[in-house]
Amino acid sequence: MSTVAPPGTGQLTPEQLVEAYRVMRTIREFEERLHREFATGDIPGFVHLYAGEEAIAAGVIAHLGSDDYVASTHRGHGHAIAKGCDVKGMMAEIYGKITGLCKGKGGSMHIADFDKGMLGANGIVGGGPPLVCGVGLTAKVKGTDQVAVSFTGDGGSNQGTFLESLNLAGAWHLPVIFVVENNGYAESTSSNFHQSGIDVAKRADGFGMPGIIVDGFDFFAVHEAAGEAIERARSGGGPSLIECKVNRYFGHFEGDQQTYRGPNEVEDLRRTRDCLDAFARRVTDAGVLEREALAEIDASVKTLIDDAVREAKAAPDPTAADVLTDVYVKY
Amino acid sequence: MPNRLRPIGSYAAPVSAGVSVGVVANPASGRDIRRLVAGASVFGNADKAGMVYRLLGGLGAAGVERVLMMPASDGLSATLHRQLYAHARRPPAGAVAPLPVLEQLVMELDGSALDSLEAVARMREAGVAAIVVLGGDGTHRVVAKACGDVPLCALSTGTNNAFPEMRETTVAGLATGLVACGRVPAAGALRREGALVVERDGAAPDLALVDVAVTAERFVGARAIWSGAGVSELVVTFAHPSAVGLSAVAGLIAPLARGAGRGVHVRFAADPREAEHTLAVALAPGLVTEVAVASHRVLDTGDIVELPPAAGSLALDGEREIERRPDEAVTVRLAPGPLTIDVDAVMREAARRGATRMQPRRV
Repeated sequence: MSTVAPPGTGQLTPEQLVEAYRVMRTIREFEERLHREFATGDIPGFVHLYAGEEAIAAGVIAHLGSDDYVASTHRGHGHAIAKGCDVKGMMAEIYGKITGLCKGKGGSMHIADFDKGMLGANGIVGGGPPLVCGVGLTAKVKGTDQVAVSFTGDGGSNQGTFLESLNLAGAWHLPVIFVVENNGYAESTSSNFHQSGIDVAKRADGFGMPGIIVDGFDFFAVHEAAGEAIERARSGGGPSLIECKVNRYFGHFEGDQQTYRGPNEVEDLRRTRDCLDAFARRVTDAGVLEREALAEIDASVKTLIDDAVREAKAAPDPTAADVLTDVYVKY
Repeated sequence: MPNRLRPIGSYAAPVSAGVSVGVVANPASGRDIRRLVAGASVFGNADKAGMVYRLLGGLGAAGVERVLMMPASDGLSATLHRQLYAHARRPPAGAVAPLPVLEQLVMELDGSALDSLEAVARMREAGVAAIVVLGGDGTHRVVAKACGDVPLCALSTGTNNAFPEMRETTVAGLATGLVACGRVPAAGALRREGALVVERDGAAPDLALVDVAVTAERFVGARAIWSGAGVSELVVTFAHPSAVGLSAVAGLIAPLARGAGRGVHVRFAADPREAEHTLAVALAPGLVTEVAVASHRVLDTGDIVELPPAAGSLALDGEREIERRPDEAVTVRLAPGPLTIDVDAVMREAARRGATRMQPRRV
């Protein structure tokens, strides 16, 4: 029985664990800093922060290579960071600067980097699932072993695009994974009010694909489930859906008064459901990583984000001449 | 303090001091990774709501007047509410009794196993005569920690469970109600299950109802154990060869009935050449795997299995639950567990006693 190596999380190397922690910490620090910077009024447009949900981006995307695809949401910073997008380029993009990943013309909701397989954050709720069907079909037709992952919220899971994409992916047996980040709110509406049948995973049944639920605050649970789903897709086993039950630390957008949330809801979440705290405790209890190593990551990430903000603020704006560049594609 | 959900059956009926039964339906069961890695059945909360609704029909017919239920988010309560509302407007023709009054406990939901613990404690305070549990092995394990000697009717909400039974809940409700109302005596109707008490330094004891497995998996991760890989030892409270899951390994080498006060300890072989038995076992739905057993021994109540320190985790009733410190020794003790209602035995006794016979109708 023990002749086969155990599957899943037991085999994560210390290097992989360090990387997972670094990704989650970078997302957290990026978002906490944006929360403060947005309040100064220097950032154009809207930002939707991912803090609290880091374990999902880190746990899923750890299994992807740079030629695999991710289609994100309006709450896309975490996915972009996990997919390897340049953090300074992201910060500059959010500040609308020419040094940004999209030369300052996209902003928070359109951060994309095709070289990294990041198809983009997406201002259209439910916009990501059709995109992964497209790249999934490409991979299938070309016979590569690429996979594509879309992230969608509970609100997005009510969109026709989401359900149509489940159907298409099922019918065409595409190498895609639909990750639903069910954070309990579609903007300000609790899922108890906006969803008929609260478990999004159940919707997969209707399209003949497996749908499972994991704790979205638990890196190890997400990592293991995503690993199985991605391996399944990569080896031709078809699509699947993973619903991650989670919550967010901030409002729908920055400036959201959050009057729809319970008293102390966010404080309780931060105290009891922190993926970074739980991760740090578990890897150190298991004797796999030292607290000092994690503290070093914390310090280097803080420096990175400090630099990113400083450089973004100092960078030039796009000029009028930049407006029409990169708009049309030449075939 | 219970709060009356929309009363059903008889809207005007006051809350009765009559026989009451508790219901714990776990909204989180039935959606774990086994749907992805094996062919486990899917079981949604609408299905569970339907099970509770049908259960009420059986309980009411047996004479239960009041049902206390753990509130359940994630659509279970809402779906049940819709069914009861429709029922109140148009009750099924021919039912022998109204549904019991259903009350929902007023409690803050944590979304974790703590909810079930809290709900069971409140049901005991309220004096329920029995508790019906809808969930998997994991749900029953949690309820068993808190239920004392209140008998459980253990109902499965999926195909991957060893402890609860897959049953039509109307009949399970009838059997539970007959026992709860004293129309079938407890002797012969109830079974004393076994339990495994897991003890380690500095931690509160934990409990398993079916099995404890030692696995090399460092982290709890997606919880379910669906493969034998990395499992080195197993302790079970009963061993049915027809079970699905790790306990079937013991069942295929040393079958042991439920409630016999005995258990089995199995060591797996790291190298199949050292195996005492090599077996094909249904470890998960749709997944029959080869398992190499090095040795086994039968345990009596009170026997202790010592698990030497090792990195990895412990799975209780099929779910990785405890991440071990590498230097941590663990003991597993076979102990008496909860009382459960043997639905078949109750219905046989009911037939013998005529406990469900109606009075002849006058024309």
